[in-house]
Amino acid sequence: MTAVTHQAQAIELSGSRSIEAANDHELLAAIRDGDEVAFQELVRRYRNPITNFVYRMLDDYDRAVELSQETFIRVYTSASRYQANYSFSTYIYRIATNLAISELRRRKRRKMVSLFSPYTNDDGEAVEMDPPDLNVLQDEALIANERRHAVARAITSLPQKYRAAIVLRDVEGLSYDQIAETLQLSEGTVKSRINRARNLLKEKLTAYI
Amino acid sequence: MNSCKSIRELIDEADNPNLLPFEVSQHVDACRDCERFSAERAGLRNLLGSGVRVAAPMNFDAMLAARLAETKNRGWLSWLAPASYARLGAATAGVAALVLVAQYSGLFSSRLTPSQQDTVATTKSNQPGAPSAQPVADAGVVADNHRQPQRVTPIVIGQRMGSSRLAAATIGRVRPREAVSSDDLGVVLVRGQNGGSDVQMPTVSLGAQPLLYVSAGKQQPVRNVGASF
Repeated sequence: MTAVTHQAQAIELSGSRSIEAANDHELLAAIRDGDEVAFQELVRRYRNPITNFVYRMLDDYDRAVELSQETFIRVYTSASRYQANYSFSTYIYRIATNLAISELRRRKRRKMVSLFSPYTNDDGEAVEMDPPDLNVLQDEALIANERRHAVARAITSLPQKYRAAIVLRDVEGLSYDQIAETLQLSEGTVKSRINRARNLLKEKLTAYI
Repeated sequence: MNSCKSIRELIDEADNPNLLPFEVSQHVDACRDCERFSAERAGLRNLLGSGVRVAAPMNFDAMLAARLAETKNRGWLSWLAPASYARLGAATAGVAALVLVAQYSGLFSSRLTPSQQDTVATTKSNQPGAPSAQPVADAGVVADNHRQPQRVTPIVIGQRMGSSRLAAATIGRVRPREAVSSDDLGVVLVRGQNGGSDVQMPTVSLGAQPLLYVSAGKQQPVRNVGASF
């Protein structure tokens, strides 16, 4: 009964359209008024992209799911303060990025030592020792699996400031201006970071390109 | 003709690495280095984008609803968890215990222990400018006025003196100001001048005071006399 009422409110708020047709800003406005159905719709739209993005940042699925849920909780609790200056996708990716970066910093403080990261680069960040394996693999499944792991390891070995930019661009497919808004950087800085990240990844993934 | 650098920037910025702008394609066809760069970039971007995309678990919504309900129930005082109360109480008790221990051990007392007094006395007597316990070789005890030198007349306390003798003793032989310090422990009694001027007096302790006895121009320490005001 309550859900039906909320559904009716949401439809009314979105101007006689169904809630699936409402855009993100309209859903946020409905959430601000306490509409749970609008929140569920927003979660349905973004749960997979956000989970995938955080997973590619952390390479840890369970933690990625937790942080993805935390992202939606923050969206819900701060809906009253949301200002529609940017697209909602930029807004939610920014929250997820901040959470992922905080998690990476927390892990760095704990000094989790990876057996693959005994070296540091000029910035003092851990660099994964991942020499390219030039041997020919014989099984397609093994190849795909190895490729997936190599890409994940290469991404997680990137310096933190490059990681978010390259994942948002080449994994999530955001545009440069969206990434600039998400990371709150200039577009030139974003381009520079993506270029450097690609150069670093090219060295690590030579065998797979 | 675009330079290779600008062409590579355009290759990097292209939304689709397989669909480059016309001028870029034209340059790439003619430049072997840029062609290799373009192929590398396209391969890398395809590799990154072709990875398996993970999806949220089936129970994502249920877990989120549970966490959201928990967040709502916590309210605005959620940061004051019971564990915080316990920590705050333990910290307060610890500080109170430290204060009590410090108080009973005399840390806040201004009194010096005997050993500390000995240390202080030794230090004072070793100071080059410290006043001597011997009487000054001058004709009296004068006030120590730090603001402006006072011309004072010492009282001579001794045996009964007649007015003429007292007058002779009150001849104004005043020590230079720099020879006088507040540590002289002298009693300042100014005859006939206290009413006319304010005299800054050093600390006077009641009881025995070292006084000077002046007799016929000679001075010698005399018995202690109880001070009277």
